[in-house]
Amino acid sequence: MASSTLTRRGLLRGVGTATVVTSCVRKPNDGKSDHPPITNVHTPAEIGPEPTSVSFTLDGKPAIVQVEPRVTLLEALRLDLDVTGPKLVCDRGACGACTVMVDGVPRNACMMLAHDVAGANVTTVAALGTPEALSELQAAFVRHDALQCGFCTSGMLVSCAALLQRRGPTRNKLTAEEVEDAIAGNLCRCGTYPHVVAAVLETAGAPPPTSRRGEA
Amino acid sequence: MTRTKIDVGFGDTRTTIEVDLPESEPRPWDARAELAVVGRELPRIDGALKVSGRARYTFDISLPRMLHAAVLRASLPAATIKSISLAKAEKRPGVVGVLALVKPGDRVLFAGQDVAAVAASRPELARDALAYVEVEYEAAPFVVDVVTAAKATAPRVHQGNVAERQTEGDEPGTGRGGTAEGNVRPMPVSQRGNVDAALKKAAVVHEAEYITQVQTHSALETHGIIVAWRGDDAMDVWCSTQGTFSVRDELAQIFGLDPRNVEVVSDYVGGGFGAKFGASAPGTRLGFVAGELARTTGRPVKLMCDRHEEQVCTGNRPDSFQRLRVGVDATGRLVGIHAKSLGTAGIGTGAGIGRNAFGVYTRCPNVRVEASDVFTNCGPATAMRAPGHPQGAFALELALDELAAKAKLDPLRLRIDHDEHPVRRWQAEEGAKRFGWTAARKRSADQRARNTRLRRGVGMAASIWGDFGRGGAAQVTCRIARDGRVTVENGVQDIGTGIGTVMAQVAAEVLLLDPRAITVRIGHTAYGPSVGSGGSTTTSSVTPAVRNAVEKAKIELIAVAAAQLGAKPSQVVWGAGGTVTTAAGKTLSFAALCKKLPAEEILATGSRARTYGHHPASFMGEPMQQIAGVQFAEVEVDTWTGVVRPVRVLAIHDAGRIMNRLTARSQVNGGIILGTSYALLEERVMDRDFGRMLNPNLESYKIAGPRDIPDIEVVLTDVYAGNNSTGAIGIGEPATIPTAAAIACAVFDALGVPVRSLPITPAKVLAALGKVPGKGTPT
Ligand code: FES
Ligand code: FES
Repeated sequence: MASSTLTRRGLLRGVGTATVVTSCVRKPNDGKSDHPPITNVHTPAEIGPEPTSVSFTLDGKPAIVQVEPRVTLLEALRLDLDVTGPKLVCDRGACGACTVMVDGVPRNACMMLAHDVAGANVTTVAALGTPEALSELQAAFVRHDALQCGFCTSGMLVSCAALLQRRGPTRNKLTAEEVEDAIAGNLCRCGTYPHVVAAVLETAGAPPPTSRRGEA
Repeated sequence: MTRTKIDVGFGDTRTTIEVDLPESEPRPWDARAELAVVGRELPRIDGALKVSGRARYTFDISLPRMLHAAVLRASLPAATIKSISLAKAEKRPGVVGVLALVKPGDRVLFAGQDVAAVAASRPELARDALAYVEVEYEAAPFVVDVVTAAKATAPRVHQGNVAERQTEGDEPGTGRGGTAEGNVRPMPVSQRGNVDAALKKAAVVHEAEYITQVQTHSALETHGIIVAWRGDDAMDVWCSTQGTFSVRDELAQIFGLDPRNVEVVSDYVGGGFGAKFGASAPGTRLGFVAGELARTTGRPVKLMCDRHEEQVCTGNRPDSFQRLRVGVDATGRLVGIHAKSLGTAGIGTGAGIGRNAFGVYTRCPNVRVEASDVFTNCGPATAMRAPGHPQGAFALELALDELAAKAKLDPLRLRIDHDEHPVRRWQAEEGAKRFGWTAARKRSADQRARNTRLRRGVGMAASIWGDFGRGGAAQVTCRIARDGRVTVENGVQDIGTGIGTVMAQVAAEVLLLDPRAITVRIGHTAYGPSVGSGGSTTTSSVTPAVRNAVEKAKIELIAVAAAQLGAKPSQVVWGAGGTVTTAAGKTLSFAALCKKLPAEEILATGSRARTYGHHPASFMGEPMQQIAGVQFAEVEVDTWTGVVRPVRVLAIHDAGRIMNRLTARSQVNGGIILGTSYALLEERVMDRDFGRMLNPNLESYKIAGPRDIPDIEVVLTDVYAGNNSTGAIGIGEPATIPTAAAIACAVFDALGVPVRSLPITPAKVLAALGKVPGKGTPT
């Protein structure tokens, strides 16, 4: 079991988290990553193989689960905590449907172990807003029809919310390309990308996309 | 039946036709109807639940005491089972039930076939236990590629006859293949005139082979089902499906139940694209496995495919090897189109090439289209968004462009001159202007002449589909309660198109209410019979039934109003917000009117009449509308690296009366993005030595991401066909048919040499340019 712990984490580190989240950034890496480095991995030296408890903050509230060390953060959220906003689609970091924020950084929850987030702050789509009180970004998604089947939507939203957060006051300078970079790790089979970009730019107060035109 | 005059037309044209309407049918919303809510850009009504992560898909459902099942799949592409033992697996931690899915002597036909299943308390424990299932195989010879499989010496994939598996995703009127010879099984031939004679006499003939790849549906939510028995003769089911009733019927049949005792729920579906009909998938008996494990363990069982299984056993779009012959006479008239194709649907059937070659350029008098299934030891195909059509469109349209180049004809004119569909001709003419076709073609020619590194090119292709909307299939219930709540109910599922939203719009239109005030209940078999979401039929089958149900309820309300206001029903005027007024000036608000209902609720049901009109063009001679569409594409090709960048696509589509311009546009965007992905990125790769899929995932099976797509411009040309009471026609499939073809034509325009194989990878571009020694495609 310990070896499976190593495999998941080793893979993640080997690839580099920034690469996992935005797998095809436009510019060559100039060393100034958009994301802060990950410093929040709190796994004790040795645990398992039997279920062991891990606690963290989930959508603003304390959470505790009892899981084997090999259980991914995504499985723990979905199966043990019944938090089903993040979706399981590829289970290997290729699609972004499971994206959550860990201490403010968008991460693929299928590529982290539940025990990796001990003490960390995990935010899922549910924390962005409720159906009765949607956040600006969520409301813009609905208005622009940035969702069809909606299975990619939770992950898309978390990536986009993280982008807006990162950009802070300069968000009104966002371009369509930058939004596309931010969701480059989020696959959508229904074809919502143009509407996602429009929704994010509108929320950011940035000029609408000049290309990716809608219906004329 | 009453003979009724209605106005039909498209663009600026208007004509009056006479149609036969059933007695109960309301006057159809024809070209003259001015509608307030239908057609508007209304955001989908379940949007808030989806963006907040609250929408519960099948994958998200968890029931008390529920077990998770996992399936062991054959590791060999062809074998005979010698023995199987589940004794060890049964003793593994967490395991509650086991199920053998093969017995000694059974044949394995593809790597991925069901072998055994277990149910355990957690999914990872179920998967762990699979490693303890002991299976002995006797390997047999196999074949996984079409060319080898078509040879007389190839290993036979099937021993007996093969049953066709038809679903609601298939195009009506297709299928019914002949008997196989070796692995090759011909499908019915479509022909007119004498193509051989015509091509013999033609002034210019072009002949070449065109190849398309196997594409997988890759819906984000994998196939999955949860079965919970109620006693031993009834069950509750949750399923990620395009057809709740197809799930019900399959399970009822497997377990010998009364279909009324099988309730299927599908509140939200994470995409389907044609692969999700029935309780199972074409290559795996999911419904049986979940149902049987639930029966033997006495607990609810959830079975979700993982991504690997989804890629291998739940269906795909077959590949094709198409030989095309096309020719023109000395005056540039198209005299013959001959397409002959071999393709593999794996162990299944259905590798056709659609209707494009036969149905679009109908002024060509001599056409023959022949296609055969070639069986291979690969996972079975199933319907995928416009089955056969993108394959056929790609080969036909690129061949026509090559012919036009040879005969020095303008490819756009060649198409317009041979297409009889007035809407498509109009779309092509208007589209060319809007797209800047002539100037763009000149620029490509200029860049080719100057041999620039980066080359732009443009191409254009046509779409053909039919209005397969089904009469009588959907029964919608409209309830209006004393508290003013209006509910419309139907068992239809929403796979992402937003059918619930247009149902609300149609109901709101009839009652002149705010669509957000309408409660829509769908995704449950208890809500009344409906169609599967396939063949682009959902909107045109369900919305007329909604309208007819609500109109009936409205008649009852008017009767109540008349009694209340002391007037005749004919004197009651229905106004905005549902307020009723009489000529005498007496009035009642909708809320006040509902309070006066004699019973708690008005309950009216409605269904859709048989399609009554198809102005201005029919599909394959049938009494149904032929849906038209054209797409123009521009690409930029880097002749040094071979990379093709899709620059922009202009898509002009007809979808009858558009119900919701926002969600309709989303669907067209989706069709184009899927088509672009098909043209440039996607390909199932089979290992010829081991017979397995090499890329059963989403990182090496590439689907288009946000940076891989063109700028998209969508033009929806309303066509009033006089087909049903709302005038709706489908759009899901037509929108993906021409994209890959238009892109391939654009690449040809950019390079001056064709790439006759999808996906158009950098390697193929460089080979076509003669930059890979020994692999050039001579022009
Ligand atoms: S499920 Fe995590 S990236 Fe696909
Ligand atoms: S909306 Fe269906 S996958 Fe994105």
